[in-house]
Parts: sequence; structure tokens; C-alpha cells
Amino acid sequence: MKEFIITICNGTTCVNKGAHRLQEVLKEKLEKAGLTEKVKINISGCLGMCDKGPMMIVYPGYTIYGGITEEDVSEIVEEHIINNRPIARLAVQEEKLFNRFFRIFGDTEFFGKQLRIALRNCGIIDPENIDDYIALRGYEALAEILTNKTPQEVVDEVKKSGLRGRGGGGFPTGTKWQFTANEESDLKYVVCNADEGDPGAFMDRSAIEGDPHTVLEGMAIGGYAIGASKGIVYIRAEYPLAIKRLEKAIKAARENDFLGKNILGSDFSFDIEIRLGAGAFVCGEETALIHSIEGRRGTPRPRPPYPAVSGLFGKPTLINNVETFANIPVIILDGGGWFSTVGTEKSKGTKVFALAGKIHNTGLIEVPMGTTLREIVYDIGGGLPNGKEFKAIQTGGPSGGCLPVEYLDTPIDYESLAKAGSIMGSGGMIVIDEDSCMVDIAKFFLQFTQDESCGKCTPCREGTKRMFEILTRITEGKGKAGDIEKLERLGNMIKKASLCGLGQSAPNPVLSTIKNFREEYEEHINEKKCRAGVCKALVGYTITDNCVGCGACKRVCPVGAIEGTKKEKHIIDSNKCIKCGACIDTCKFNAIVKS
Amino acid sequence: MTTPLEAIKKKRAESVNRILEKGYLADFRVYVGMATCEIAAGSADVMKVFVDAINSKELTNVYLSQKGCAGRCNLEPTVEVVESGKSPVKYGKVTQERAKEIIERHIKNGEVIKDWVID
Repeated sequence: MKEFIITICNGTTCVNKGAHRLQEVLKEKLEKAGLTEKVKINISGCLGMCDKGPMMIVYPGYTIYGGITEEDVSEIVEEHIINNRPIARLAVQEEKLFNRFFRIFGDTEFFGKQLRIALRNCGIIDPENIDDYIALRGYEALAEILTNKTPQEVVDEVKKSGLRGRGGGGFPTGTKWQFTANEESDLKYVVCNADEGDPGAFMDRSAIEGDPHTVLEGMAIGGYAIGASKGIVYIRAEYPLAIKRLEKAIKAARENDFLGKNILGSDFSFDIEIRLGAGAFVCGEETALIHSIEGRRGTPRPRPPYPAVSGLFGKPTLINNVETFANIPVIILDGGGWFSTVGTEKSKGTKVFALAGKIHNTGLIEVPMGTTLREIVYDIGGGLPNGKEFKAIQTGGPSGGCLPVEYLDTPIDYESLAKAGSIMGSGGMIVIDEDSCMVDIAKFFLQFTQDESCGKCTPCREGTKRMFEILTRITEGKGKAGDIEKLERLGNMIKKASLCGLGQSAPNPVLSTIKNFREEYEEHINEKKCRAGVCKALVGYTITDNCVGCGACKRVCPVGAIEGTKKEKHIIDSNKCIKCGACIDTCKFNAIVKS
Repeated sequence: MTTPLEAIKKKRAESVNRILEKGYLADFRVYVGMATCEIAAGSADVMKVFVDAINSKELTNVYLSQKGCAGRCNLEPTVEVVESGKSPVKYGKVTQERAKEIIERHIKNGEVIKDWVID
């Protein structure tokens, strides 16, 4: 462990102000002073303090130095690092809400390169104790708007922030709030969509389990802005702990006068209840979600009318995702103007991703928009384990696409990812290495969507099924010429003709893998070959001359497919072999290969 | 009449007081990850080790709290040991055995167990 860790902001603004030069100077100074063993330099993404850049943070102690020059760097090395005297003259005070997290976690490489806005309290407070949340300025944003802002001013602040829907669609949140606020109605609703269903994604669960109050506060602020008195969290029943913590949080918020009648002595009344979903993927679609809350079958309906006009029980309804609401208190307290300094031109703020798959550091990350996929995979994720080659990154779950190595420098924002042929989605991110078969991956996601298709519209119900059949055929070695074209035609048709987002995006994993890995499809069909050795029907196991005849493989083979006498080369009966791979795992001489 | 902003400031002071009364200013603060993922990795057992140590008075002057998941999936369960005036120490893959050692070596004897630290 190093004694000091220095984080240098490498965000665009700081780089424009000369951060690269400062990194070099710092390195030189440390080398000259013989301190490289003692000090670790951590190059981070945007740290959200652009107005104070270029900046660096010295741990331990979380001393933030802002507006630094080359001379200042020398002084920091001499005074702070060598003499252990932090320099008050250069230190800046930063009272933003995200700071608290970095005081505890910022000195690790994994967390130090992130920026936590929505997840600012996750991992540092007791989620079941409202005092912990209040102590960190919890519910101050709600009190602030009730005291000083009209509903329209709140909507304007959210518009100013540039926040866009974090559920995947990326619709401007402020505009949605405005639409709902404009409607005249005796009753309006605020609905939080916590029906997280992408395989391998757990952003919403972690956010609610780690900091439930911020979601409630965001909803109450939304209620005030649009003139609603009732809020509903729609969450799937498979998240028992998240539900328990939400229930506890709602109860505590009511006891403390943050929910209920005349909140904090104001004229504003708002209460929240929980509705449980049974775990159908389609219920994450807003109209299906509304039907489900109403007690009807969870199927979508055509839009318009949008929920902002006619939503739950026919009333104007504001539906936002968990992460979207979690950003709201920060936008109120730290300002929409500040929020809009983080991110890219069209995508503001940060995004939470569930990083999974073939990667060293799996985890939940929150990064500024504009961070590249490469920075996520290699800097934060630590690269791929076991020296394997990077093959693709899948974003957006079953609605998204697989991007190959050429797209690694794509900045993460709604437009860039869409242009690259994938989507932002709600935040699933799966790293795929050379051992994975792209046809098999596409099949996996399609199996999921065709299973979850609600069946209401024909293109999605029948189309995904047919596509799945073709993919199954290809992976079983029964692919025919023209299958790829048929998949493309079906896929494009399903995208155009389906009723809701599920069907409109279901072919994406297939279409994007055909676009980027067409040769793998062709190999499967024409050569009956799976280069990754995943599709069992296309893989044969053979024993090479490395075999010493130890008999280990013969003993583990569950179907008795391996024969041979001791100390002589064994052979595999391919008719009996079920390709379970047990022999490969057992062989100490690397004598069994897939072909 | 008090405004909502005045009301929340008063409430915050009360909350901070309650947290202080629970012993927040102890020499050590220990946070154990208790989200679904952490619990699945075994953090409830780890929590029990710390709770037992405090109940049996083996540990005094320690503030123990649960926390949500910070996001370091492959190193869960995670435990933070925060000592006033020092860098917070973050431990990964904490088992019951490791928790006992953290109590013995770190909290009682001031040794940061470097091999288990997340850096």
C-alpha cells in the first residue's frame, strides 16, 4: 500500500486547462524526489468540479487542490507529500453532495475514477436509518423547493440540468415533467419504475437497497413540480430486501413529515405506496406497467396518448426510472447548472452501469457521460482476466447490441451508442471475450425476449420465436444458406412493426452481432464450425499425441466415451461424447483439444 | 411560522444528535455491506461477528453500522474500518475468520491487514 494517493482529474475541462502537463510535472517531481514507491497517481475521469480545474486530490485526508499551476505541483510535492503539511492556500472547499462518498472510497483505483451522483450515498450510509440520510442533507432539496420555488421553477431547474431518462429511452426529464405539469386534472400520479428486468442488471436494486430515501425525495419533488398528490413505486417482488427497505423508508418519511399531509408545514401533500410486480419483463414498459398497477394484464398499448396525458386510471402520470429520481435532489441542491457541466453536449450527468462478464473488477459503477467504453473496460474494470482477448461489449441488455473492439473508444452517451448500433439502455454492460460465441450470445438474449414477449402483437410474438428457431438451427449445425438474410429481414420487420419497446428492440442483439460478427454466422452455417468452441453440436473433441495414457480422462468421462489402454494414446468416440468438457478440465497434459 | 427549510435544519440537528448519541465519535467506525449481493456473499455472518464482539464487550468504543452496496461485486462482502484521523480502510472478501482477525489485529492492535485491503 502506498502512503499517498494523488488523483488527477483527466476530464475534458481540466485537460483543456492543462491537466496533462501537470500529470507529467507531478511524475517528474515524484521521480526526482524518489517518491514513486510512496505515492500512487490515479488518473480519473471528470470529478465534477470543472470550475475549479485543473485539480487534484491528495489522500489520505481528501485535500482538494484546485486551479493549480506547475509551480503549485512542486509545492504540493514538497510541502504536502514530503513535509506532510497540506497547503491551505491552494486547497478548495467543495460542498457538493457527491463528496462524501469519495472521502471514504476515492483513494481506490476502482472508485476513484468514478463520479457518484445517483449513488452518492450507497455504501456510506445505513439505508434503514433515516437519520443517516437527513444528516447528509437528505430531504433538504424537498424543503428548499417547498420554501423557495414554485412548481414551474422546479421544472425549469430540471430542464436546465439536461437530465434525460435513465431507464434507457433517454427522453429529456424536464420536458416530460413539463408535459405532465401542463395537464389539468383533479388527480395526477408520480410513478417510479423499479421494474428492473435485464438479465445481469442490478442498478435499481442497489440504489434502493443502498439509499431508498433519495428515490422517495426525488418522487416527492416530482409530485410538487407536476401537481400530484400520490406516488407509486412499482417494484418487482423478486427484490424482497429492496422492498423491505423501501417500506421502512416510507414509514420513517411519514413519521418525519416528509410524506403525507402538509409536508413540513407547507400546503403540499404527497404520499407514496408500493406496488409489486410479478417479474414480467414487459412490465418495465410504461403502458404495460400502468396496466399492471391497475390490476389488469401487463400488456402495452399504443401511444399516444402518453402517460403524461392519460396514464394511471386515465389520469396524467409522470413515470421515471429509479436512477432518474435519485438524481433529482442533487439537481435541486447543487443546481441544474452545475449538473449540466458534467457529461457531454447532449447527455448530461452520470450513468450507472452494472459491469459484468469477462472482466477483472465486476461491479456497479457510475461514470460521467462521455467516458469511453475503453476507460470502463480497462481503467475501471481492470481488463479481461486470464490474458484473454477482448471480443465485444454488450450494452443495453436484451434490447441492446454487441460492440466489437473498433468501438471501444465510443464515448458513452445516448447518441453515440445508438450510432454505434447499440443503446444506452438501463445500464447492463457485459464484457465478452474470445471464448464466447457471438451466435450463442445472440441466441441467449433472443431466448429471453421471446420468452418475455407478452403475445399481444404478432410481430413480436411470432417473429422473435421464428428468429429463435433459426438461431437454434444455426448453433446446432443445421444452418442453411439464406438464414442470415432471413434473420435480418425478420429482425427489421419486428423492429418496425412491434407495438412496444420490447419488440422494437428485441432483434437488436441479433442484428448487431450479424453486423459486427457476420463471419461467425457464416462459419456456423457454411463450415459448420464454432470458433469459440461453444456450440456443442459443432465441436468435436480429439486427443492429441501429447497423451501419455494416464487414464484420468477415461475415469471422469460420464458417458464412457473414452477408450484406451494404460500408457497408450486414448481415443474419444465422437458418437458417445456429449461434449461436457470434463476430460479437458482433468487432463494435465493439454492433450485434449476442441476442433 | 417556520418554513420547511427551517424545519429541515432543525430535524438535521436532531438527526446528527441521535447519530452522535449512538457513539459515532468512537475511535473506530465499522461498516458492513448488507445489500442483497453482500448478504449472498456471506456478510450477515460477518456482521454477526462484529455484533457479538460488541455485545460481549470484547469491543468497546466501536460504532457499527450496516451499509448498502458500494459496487465492488467480486470482492464482497466488504467491510470499512474508519479510524478518526486516518484513511478509511476498505477490506474485501471478508469472512467470519477474517472479521475476527480484523477485530484482533486492526481494531485492537492498530495493524492494517494489507493483503485484504481493496486498493
